[in-house]
Amino acid sequence: MSGASLSEDGALPLEVAGLAVAYGERTAVRQLSFHVASGEIYGLLGSNGAGKTSTIRSVVGLVKPSSGSIRIFGIDPHVDGLRAKEKVGYVPESPLLFDALTPREFLEFVSSVRRLASEEATARTLTYARAFQVERELDTPMATLSHGTRQKMLLTAAFLHQPPLLVLDEPLNNLDPRSVSIMRELLGRYVKTGRRGVLFSTHTMEVAERLCHRVGILDQGELKGEGTLGGLRAQVDQGDASLEQIFLRLTSEEEAVREAVRSLGTG
Amino acid sequence: MPWRDAWRLSDRCYPEISYQAIYAVRQGNLPSSVPSSELVARARRRVQQSKLLVSFVLAILNAGAFAAMGSLAQANFGAGLPLGLYQVGVVAGLLILEVALLWWTALQVLPTYLASNVVPFLETLPIPRPVVDRAAFLLLLRLVDAPAITCLVLTPVVVGVAFGSPLAGLAVLPGVFASIVAALSFALLTARFFVRRVQGAGGGHGQTALRWTYLVLWAIPAFAMYGSLAIAPKFFGTLAGLLAGGPRPLLDLLLSAYPFPLAFLPLELSRTAPPTGLVGGDILAITAAAVAYFLATGWTAQWLIRAPRLLAVSTSSQSAPGVLRSAGLTSRGIVSAVLRRDLRTASRTPGFAFLILLPLLDAFAIGIWTVLANPSNSDAFNIAAGAVSTAALLATFFGPAFFAIEVLGYSYNRTLPIPERSLLLGKVSLVALIYFLSAGVVLALTLVRVFDPLTFLGFVLAEAPAIIAASFFELGLLFRYARKKGLPIVNLYSGAWWATAVAIPALLVAGAPLVLFELLRASSIPLAIGAMGGLALIELGACLPVAWWAEGRGSV
Repeated sequence: MSGASLSEDGALPLEVAGLAVAYGERTAVRQLSFHVASGEIYGLLGSNGAGKTSTIRSVVGLVKPSSGSIRIFGIDPHVDGLRAKEKVGYVPESPLLFDALTPREFLEFVSSVRRLASEEATARTLTYARAFQVERELDTPMATLSHGTRQKMLLTAAFLHQPPLLVLDEPLNNLDPRSVSIMRELLGRYVKTGRRGVLFSTHTMEVAERLCHRVGILDQGELKGEGTLGGLRAQVDQGDASLEQIFLRLTSEEEAVREAVRSLGTG
Repeated sequence: MPWRDAWRLSDRCYPEISYQAIYAVRQGNLPSSVPSSELVARARRRVQQSKLLVSFVLAILNAGAFAAMGSLAQANFGAGLPLGLYQVGVVAGLLILEVALLWWTALQVLPTYLASNVVPFLETLPIPRPVVDRAAFLLLLRLVDAPAITCLVLTPVVVGVAFGSPLAGLAVLPGVFASIVAALSFALLTARFFVRRVQGAGGGHGQTALRWTYLVLWAIPAFAMYGSLAIAPKFFGTLAGLLAGGPRPLLDLLLSAYPFPLAFLPLELSRTAPPTGLVGGDILAITAAAVAYFLATGWTAQWLIRAPRLLAVSTSSQSAPGVLRSAGLTSRGIVSAVLRRDLRTASRTPGFAFLILLPLLDAFAIGIWTVLANPSNSDAFNIAAGAVSTAALLATFFGPAFFAIEVLGYSYNRTLPIPERSLLLGKVSLVALIYFLSAGVVLALTLVRVFDPLTFLGFVLAEAPAIIAASFFELGLLFRYARKKGLPIVNLYSGAWWATAVAIPALLVAGAPLVLFELLRASSIPLAIGAMGGLALIELGACLPVAWWAEGRGSV
């Protein structure tokens, strides 16, 4: 497990302090604080509607926080958005993209905006496209692609400029087992090179358990627990607990789950 | 009760289509924080407004047809033709225009209908197939209901009043019904084609050229009105010639063409019908054709009930075969990348493509007319100046609409490090490109007749700074308004009202040098062009700060 090591310019890949996000009268995230250190994959765990996507949207500058601060390598994305965005590779929860472009056209646009050289952009695109087996889809309009293929194109776009911070919102959702396996390996290697960090949201406990160095458990917009798997086990005072059990204990859902199962009867 | 159930289903699904049509959430636009019930109501109102706009155009066409049925108009358009036959010709022309406009309108809305994925979702529910068929049909019909009703109400009124007989008015109803059926059928057939060959076309230069060619063909129905007016005198002259000197079978063949036989019905049922000059054999041929068209309409109407579901299902499951090109990725500057992305998006989105093609096609139409009509030198210059001015004003008017492209992939786009000025410059470049291409077409075609390149080029270049100034001005206003209201700028496009509102002052900016040219041209054309260019440069200097120092796309 990595600690809160500092990156080259003295700042962490990501620091979130006292973050609150509200949509009208509904508060999605309250007083959330966490950080992603260099060399670390940080998993944000939570049920549907726990506030994971709102947090991630705030980090990438899509949603303005009601209060609190976000720093990407010391840069506030809501003050100096351009510099912050240059350091981030983002995969959204839903692969909603430019339906009227082909993946090649989309990636050309992204690589131009990221100011990559053509040769570099081509080489990286082909590397990822081959790994994900989507080479033949590069010239097929996005509108006709499956969600999984779109997701692979988004992952390719996120890795294109080799960003020091990857922000991935449920990135494995639509992927086939082969690609999930590649992603797990890839992310593990990715953070070992340079001073990079990954913020990763998921509600799949198994993925988080196998992939993340530390996890934060979100429930109704609040952080209920945070740390390494060992640290969380200590927190719930159960030495052999799985992450799923820890999650249910921290979110006080154990009894609710039992009750729900009982009420369903034999189905 | 399949129809009643289908109506209930369409009632449930229609708000979803309206919502997606206006807010494009499925295309990556962030949902607004406004309560969804209010958004849905607003979306329905905006869709209704769009339909009323098309209805208004149809009403103008009907009014035009009414005016054209008078004897004064006949003297201009159909001299030598008996009044009765001339009026039948006008009614047939009106029916053709209704087919063209309804077809075009339905084609515009069909991509939204298909992208909403409502019908494929209904397919997954345990609903009898006939009910889904009819619900899909009713949904499509509801997207064009106001224009269709306008035709069904106004055309009988126009014909009834013109022929002085309510019965004649009612007799045109089958013709109008056939027009609606034909328009929707053409729309469904061509939509399949467009979804596959235009929206579903792959990358590469060859495919791009092919897409734009299809889009030009697609835009042609929009020019049907020009075409009808331009061709009408020639067509009526041909009819008069055939009526007077034959050959009779050719006349019958022409009068049996769609929708002539259907336009004859009001005349047949009018007691005070003016003469047509036709004899029994002609009437028999026309009647036989009318029966054939009725049978075809009936069969098509049956097909039409199933066709929307089949189209929705087939396009949702389609997947174009992957063809790998060997070419690599080409990175460019950000402004160029924005321009290129917008052009690529427009080439697969007929609505945006039309905004680019209209000034270009207009320039082509006027240029070709100049070549064919062989006007004098001064007239040729006037026509060319008029064409360039039209292109300038159209490009300016459509400029803000191109910002709506940002709706597509909106959330993702906003996470990319695109400087706002680069985005702005990309949009201004697109408007300038449309202007220069249109002006180039006019120049090239006019030079065939009048070789005075320096004067023409001077005129085009003198106006150019005003076009750029107008673009900066209108887009700058949008930026400022979005910032003031704290809105993402694309949310201003949900009804196109803001785009229109900022385009009006921009038109004044773009038009001022043209007006100055008109005022000074009598003294000296070089002086007028010089003054025009001077004013345009002053405007650019004044407008640039509006956009350049206006911050951002608004907060979220």
